[in-house]
Amino acid sequence: MRRVGFVLVLGAGALITAAWIYARTAADEAYDRLLLGAAFQMSDGLIVAEDSLRFVLPPSAFELLGLAQHDRVFYRVIDPSGATLTGYADLAAEIDLEVSRAAPVFGNDTFLGVPVRTVTVSHAMSMPNGPGWAYVVVAQTIEARRALASELTARASVLVAVMSVLALIGTAFAVRYSLRPVDDLGAALRRRDPQDLAPLQVAVPRELSPFVTSINHFINRLDERIKLLQRYIADSAHQIRTPLTALSAQVSMIDEQKVAPEDRRHLQRVQSRTAELAGLTNQLLNHAMVIHRFDSIQLAPVWLNEVARMAFRNAVPITVDPDMVVSFEPSEEELVAMGDALSLREAIVNVIDNALRHGAVARLEVRVRRREDFGLIEVIDDGPGIRQEDWPNVVSRFYTGSSDTRGASGLGFAIASEVASVLHGRLGFRERTETKPFCVYLELPLIQDSDR
Amino acid sequence: MSRYRLPALKRVLAAVAYLFPAMAGAVEGDRVTFPAQGDETGRLVIHAATDLEAMRPLLRDFQALNPGVAIEYSDYVTNDLFREAQQACAAGSSKADILLSSSVDQLVRLANDGCAQMHDSSGTQGVADWANWRNEVFGFTFEPVVFVYDRRSVPPEDVPRSHDALSDLLRSKTDVYRGRIATYDIEASGIGYLLAFYDSRQAPTANGRLLETLSRAETVVRCCNNEVLGELAAGRISIAYNVLGSYAYAAALANPDLRIVLPEDYALILSRGAMIPARAAGAEFGKHFLDYLLSARGRQVARESSFFFSEDAPLPHGVEGPESLTGSGIGRPIRIGPALLAAQDEIQRHQFITDWKNVLLRR
Repeated sequence: MRRVGFVLVLGAGALITAAWIYARTAADEAYDRLLLGAAFQMSDGLIVAEDSLRFVLPPSAFELLGLAQHDRVFYRVIDPSGATLTGYADLAAEIDLEVSRAAPVFGNDTFLGVPVRTVTVSHAMSMPNGPGWAYVVVAQTIEARRALASELTARASVLVAVMSVLALIGTAFAVRYSLRPVDDLGAALRRRDPQDLAPLQVAVPRELSPFVTSINHFINRLDERIKLLQRYIADSAHQIRTPLTALSAQVSMIDEQKVAPEDRRHLQRVQSRTAELAGLTNQLLNHAMVIHRFDSIQLAPVWLNEVARMAFRNAVPITVDPDMVVSFEPSEEELVAMGDALSLREAIVNVIDNALRHGAVARLEVRVRRREDFGLIEVIDDGPGIRQEDWPNVVSRFYTGSSDTRGASGLGFAIASEVASVLHGRLGFRERTETKPFCVYLELPLIQDSDR
Repeated sequence: MSRYRLPALKRVLAAVAYLFPAMAGAVEGDRVTFPAQGDETGRLVIHAATDLEAMRPLLRDFQALNPGVAIEYSDYVTNDLFREAQQACAAGSSKADILLSSSVDQLVRLANDGCAQMHDSSGTQGVADWANWRNEVFGFTFEPVVFVYDRRSVPPEDVPRSHDALSDLLRSKTDVYRGRIATYDIEASGIGYLLAFYDSRQAPTANGRLLETLSRAETVVRCCNNEVLGELAAGRISIAYNVLGSYAYAAALANPDLRIVLPEDYALILSRGAMIPARAAGAEFGKHFLDYLLSARGRQVARESSFFFSEDAPLPHGVEGPESLTGSGIGRPIRIGPALLAAQDEIQRHQFITDWKNVLLRR
């Protein structure tokens, strides 16, 4: 904006200078005509009568010059012999009179210490001793010219100033308007889910499309890189699983009774750690599977009740603590969302699994219900729940709560959250209150009847 | 009225001075000093081609307002004043702080030659446009040019009400009025020349006819207003042509037999000019006095005791004419401006005077 202002000031200066030059020319032209008219009138006053040159100075010539009210007037009439007939003898003394024979000659001069504009006109005379040339030089001070020029310049300057201010305001608006797509683009980038690495689909002016293309190109490369990384992790997990299974088998074959009592504790630890490792490896694989599926499959209508029930069966082991009350409550109407049944089931399983492992004390409830245009799959437990400030963290991968062990599984919520966001839904939490237990839910947009 | 009797002698002396150019050519005018009424704090030098008696009330009133100012008043003939001012200007000096002259064309010429300084004050703002040139030359009076007749010798039916009527009268009663009409000698009087020049411009044909009839009536030519009026008062002539209204009115006040006619076709209006010389030593006194002349108080004093006529006041008692001279179109102000330079041109002047003399005096 400062640069625009600078350019405008420079431009205004140039324009005002141009206006000043123009105004001076215009003023000169206007008053030159008066000057010339007066000179012609005076030269008409030159007559040859009774064989001698007579001169009658017409007052109207001076009245004409008097239109420039405050200007002083000087004149000089030169007879054919070159002598000054009347007027100011030393006016324009060094002027070349003969030039004016072709056409009147204007000039700038100084007379009596003030700048004057002069005009010289010639008048052919038939004198008794042959033809000759008489001349009339009229000079006028330039106050009226200057006044007119400065008035014109002042008016032009006001116009230029107004235009400059308008231009400045206009530029401010134009800049703001033309940069709005950039703001929009920035907002779109800010709003974006961190996991969403799809190309940007923001409508931008043509000027900005190279920029968007570059961003998309970068996103693409990042996406490829991440996929590569995921494949690497999946491959690694897969590779790890086989030896891990063997390891578990070997560990389970150790006869606990034969182990020294002090080593028995170590063995139990090895067993639990191995199981943890197996679970984690499974989750990694599941995660890779889920991501991979979304890359390759087409979404299809999914009946939420059905998927939730299958997940519930999968997730709740037969060996569940008999004191634990588990229940499944489907919705009364059939709720259908676009999705992938396998991935969705995996997501729900992870949430239920998490609740069983870390939340539920005596009660776990899975419920499917409708809220406006969304289908909700709620997993409710009577545990202490997750503190609100941890909600954003638990959905990230491998996050382990600092104060409790909840989320130690690392990938469960991350998988659920990723699945939900790919399906245009989200993973949500509801705080535990006096009356309501803690709840984790998956929220998915339902297919409208008209869409089906 | 006695105010005007006493100076009569002085006027005669002045007239004598005109008749003997060698005396008048002494350039140094008739100097009168008005000492300061209080302690003298400054001295105002006025060079004027204006009758001192007309100016005296104004000078006195100015001193009443400014008791510390002494006034040195020098009275000149217009041409001498002009010559002296021109010489002073060429030498880059000025003896006067303000110039007053009825020959405004000479002041305009001086201003045109760069011999004047500007004066722009609240006082000068009120001056009519035609009476102000470049804020350098100001007209401070308003004086119509009139006919004066002696009612003892001009019967009412003969009274000429216009220029044409004067022509007709002189043609029809040439013998009665032969040698009994007088006017300025335009060669001797700058103001006479200026008036004749403007007369010729107002109505060239009618003016030519009038000049011719004036010539036939063997018009008496006198150097100046006062002489013409003196002849009239003495009963030696009956009609005075082209007399400044202020002098005419003063004369009419002094002699009830003199009557004033404001011509019905047109009346030239002269404004006496005032100018501050470029190099005036006491320019601030000159400007102060100029502001006084242009002020309401100065104008009132001028109207009541000096010049009697005024642009914004009705005609003085006893003078018949329209309510507003300039508004009715009868009054033709001589605009103070560059057009007066045409009157000042030497060749022009020489030729005009020669032509005038050829016609009027048949030389």
